[in-house]
Amino acid sequence: MQDKACEFITPPDTLHKKVSYSATGVDAAMLEKAEQVIAGLRGSYLEWVVEDIDKLQALYDRARSEPGQRQELVKDLFCVAHDIKGQGGSFGYGLMTSIGYHLCQLLESVDELDDAGIDAIGLHLDAMRLVINQGMEGSGGTAGANMVDGLQAVVGKLTQR
Amino acid sequence: MGGYNLDRLNFLVVDDNKHMRALVKTILHALGAKNVLEAADGADAFKELRHYPADIIICDWNMSPLDGLDFVRLVRTGKDSPNPFAAIIMLTGHTEMHRVIEARDAGVHEFLAKPISAKALYSRIRSIVEKPRPFVRTATYFGPDRRRKQTDFKGKERRKSDGDRSPDGAEGGGLSQAEIEALLNG
Repeated sequence: MQDKACEFITPPDTLHKKVSYSATGVDAAMLEKAEQVIAGLRGSYLEWVVEDIDKLQALYDRARSEPGQRQELVKDLFCVAHDIKGQGGSFGYGLMTSIGYHLCQLLESVDELDDAGIDAIGLHLDAMRLVINQGMEGSGGTAGANMVDGLQAVVGKLTQR
Repeated sequence: MGGYNLDRLNFLVVDDNKHMRALVKTILHALGAKNVLEAADGADAFKELRHYPADIIICDWNMSPLDGLDFVRLVRTGKDSPNPFAAIIMLTGHTEMHRVIEARDAGVHEFLAKPISAKALYSRIRSIVEKPRPFVRTATYFGPDRRRKQTDFKGKERRKSDGDRSPDGAEGGGLSQAEIEALLNG
């Protein structure tokens, strides 16, 4: 008998009725083709990531010029940074994911966004523009590693105050 | 050589970012899926479920007014939920351990870290197909068995490799996809 406090239920078996296994199913070749389709979207990605960077720039400009609005703007800044972080690596721009990660970390960690925090956001923005303008794909080699190390150090310093 | 046919499955992609929705949809189509519906947030998605029998829901975490976690809870335990047993893949950049646990405890089947790849997404779909789990109802939880014990899949073992790694740039701090799997399977 089953304990009433924990009931196990067998869900309807719809998936197995709908999913078959055959030679025309998803195999390694189809997966590779799907990855190539994503790679084919790289041009579109470069357009929309520029839109995201511009959005981030506009929020940053407001945060710099309107100190009283900074706390409210942090959430919007975080959302855009989070999108950038979540997309870069899918299109071969892992460096954008890394920069977005550190910016998210900064925005999540600071209690109050002071001028030093604003400057740090500016550094991340500059780094993102550089990556896209220079076409720094992947991890960006030594230059990319140095860039990420620098941003990490800045974020570390600000979040440990 | 072969694989699973996804052409008869109904997918619902829920993300407030139209580019992300486009990416997921493109991947699903490239994998042979024909029925892919999009929704921009949890509330929209819940409305869609009333007339669209989704087999697999792929949802983002950060959305408003209803975020991914609230949406999952609504699907699982909402009194008017049209499909409480739907398979759900949580797709998010939030990969900290407490977030993964939170998503699991809301009732997601699988957790996929952004940035995504076709291989990583298919790997999660395959896991749902190959490892069906009973649902559990307790005073505080309704959803797939969190212990992830293998149940009644009697098909031939066809997995070859993990294929789970996120594309380059998956950054430290949060958990990697492999670490998430280890955590959820533990």
